[in-house]
Amino acid sequence: MTNFPQTFLFNGTVVPFEAGEAIAAALDRAGVVSLGDGQDGCGARYFCGVGACQACVVSVDGTRMEACLTLAREGQQVRSIGSVER
Amino acid sequence: MSGPEVLVIGGGPAGIAAALEMARAGLVVTLCEQAPRLGGAIHRQPNNASRRVSVPRAQRRRWQALSDALAASPVEVLCQHMFVGVEGNGVVLIEDRANRRIFMRNPAALVLAVGGVERVAPVPGWHLPGVVSAGGMQVMMKSTGRAPQGDVLIAGSGPLLVALAAQMVSLGNPPVAVLERSAAPVSPLAAARLLEAPAYLVEAAGYLLPLVLAGVRWRRGAAVKSIEATADGRLSVTTVDSGRRERRLVVDRVALHDGLRPNSNGAKASSSGPFVVSAGDCREVLGGVAAIADGRLAGRAVVAHLGGRPAAADATEAQLVRERRAQVTLNGFFDFSGPDPAELPDETVVCRCEGRTLGQLRSILAAADPVSPREIKLNGRFGMGACQGRFCTEWVASFVAHQRGGSPPSVAEFVGNRWPVKPVSVSAFIEPLAPHPPSNQSE
Repeated sequence: MTNFPQTFLFNGTVVPFEAGEAIAAALDRAGVVSLGDGQDGCGARYFCGVGACQACVVSVDGTRMEACLTLAREGQQVRSIGSVER
Repeated sequence: MSGPEVLVIGGGPAGIAAALEMARAGLVVTLCEQAPRLGGAIHRQPNNASRRVSVPRAQRRRWQALSDALAASPVEVLCQHMFVGVEGNGVVLIEDRANRRIFMRNPAALVLAVGGVERVAPVPGWHLPGVVSAGGMQVMMKSTGRAPQGDVLIAGSGPLLVALAAQMVSLGNPPVAVLERSAAPVSPLAAARLLEAPAYLVEAAGYLLPLVLAGVRWRRGAAVKSIEATADGRLSVTTVDSGRRERRLVVDRVALHDGLRPNSNGAKASSSGPFVVSAGDCREVLGGVAAIADGRLAGRAVVAHLGGRPAAADATEAQLVRERRAQVTLNGFFDFSGPDPAELPDETVVCRCEGRTLGQLRSILAAADPVSPREIKLNGRFGMGACQGRFCTEWVASFVAHQRGGSPPSVAEFVGNRWPVKPVSVSAFIEPLAPHPPSNQSE
């Protein structure tokens, strides 16, 4: 690991990431495949990687964003949406 | 330079080529890319420059030429900037994701170069976590420079399957298998047809050789029949070959892909709005070489529309024609038709967003009074979800034709032409709508 270890929280669990990495990539490396219930209740998960499927939408510091397009930031609070949030 | 302002959406080869062409003609160009880095799907640049996926030399050189020219140009490049839509009055809304706000531009022209939509044919279980599109898997791999972990099965149809597999080999985690739906033989005679597009032959050899050396089988005529989640969080996949023999594989990830189609989602043309041109795979799926030519042509169309000096005639149009022909030849090795609908069980999820199944669609279609595509959408909720029907409507249309006969309804009949759906927070709108973004120019 050449990068300074930075972390964010996913549903309260610490997830490390590297500089310039999207939230989805850090979660994938941490072995997190299911991202919760999702906005339509069918399960949030990474699929297309380019924002087209909208399946990886999570709450990032309280705002819904695609995990595949949003950069991880130090101390960020990432949460599943769906039953957890509603 | 103080020519008219133009906006390009998409920082892949088509968008960059269009931007360069317009900047050369003296237009003031802004290029917005939603990802943190330029390149689009094909040339996506790594998060960490020391860790990158190997790509064919010709592809690397094309990117080098584009990015060098862009760096030397006056084009304003904004990464992490998403296209939100075009207002009726012609104002284009852009989301600045890093600063979480929306800003407006009022360009004379808008070039949409947002890439094609990846096609993934529905099979039972394709909606499960851990099942991703091959393009999605590849773009993550290009960004992180790491292969996906665990046992990976790649299936569907198209050259992307072998490209992804070869890149996984080079990063140290070969896939367990690559299943190609097409059973068409890859004979020397068939390959000879590709001689008119030698670049594709070189590229194919560059992908297939490492697969052979790594002992990864490219099983032609084989497909995924169904996927189930196992109790220990893995995926149990039933595959079927051309002799209808079934087998079971347990893996960690499945990457599916059945070609690409153009992306018609986007800006609705409005009489008072900017002049809108599409370029690259979002207009016509012809691949990376053609995308540069097509971007150039789109840029020239904008320049001509705005009364600029036309570019000197060159081989750009001829190149597009040549690439179109090569693409037809290349497609002969693949089968993008997906599974036979008759073989798909009722519980197959068709709509990935809301979990609507093929059985539900079949019962809607069985009604005595034939329902229209709009009714299938509004009452059946197929194409109503957050993906705006990108991943289901084409298949819904083919299932309609399969059940009722006749030709399939067009995707546009289901979804119309709408702004892309994105989660944009209300606070991003409440912040003062600035005419210009703050200066956080990215590479």
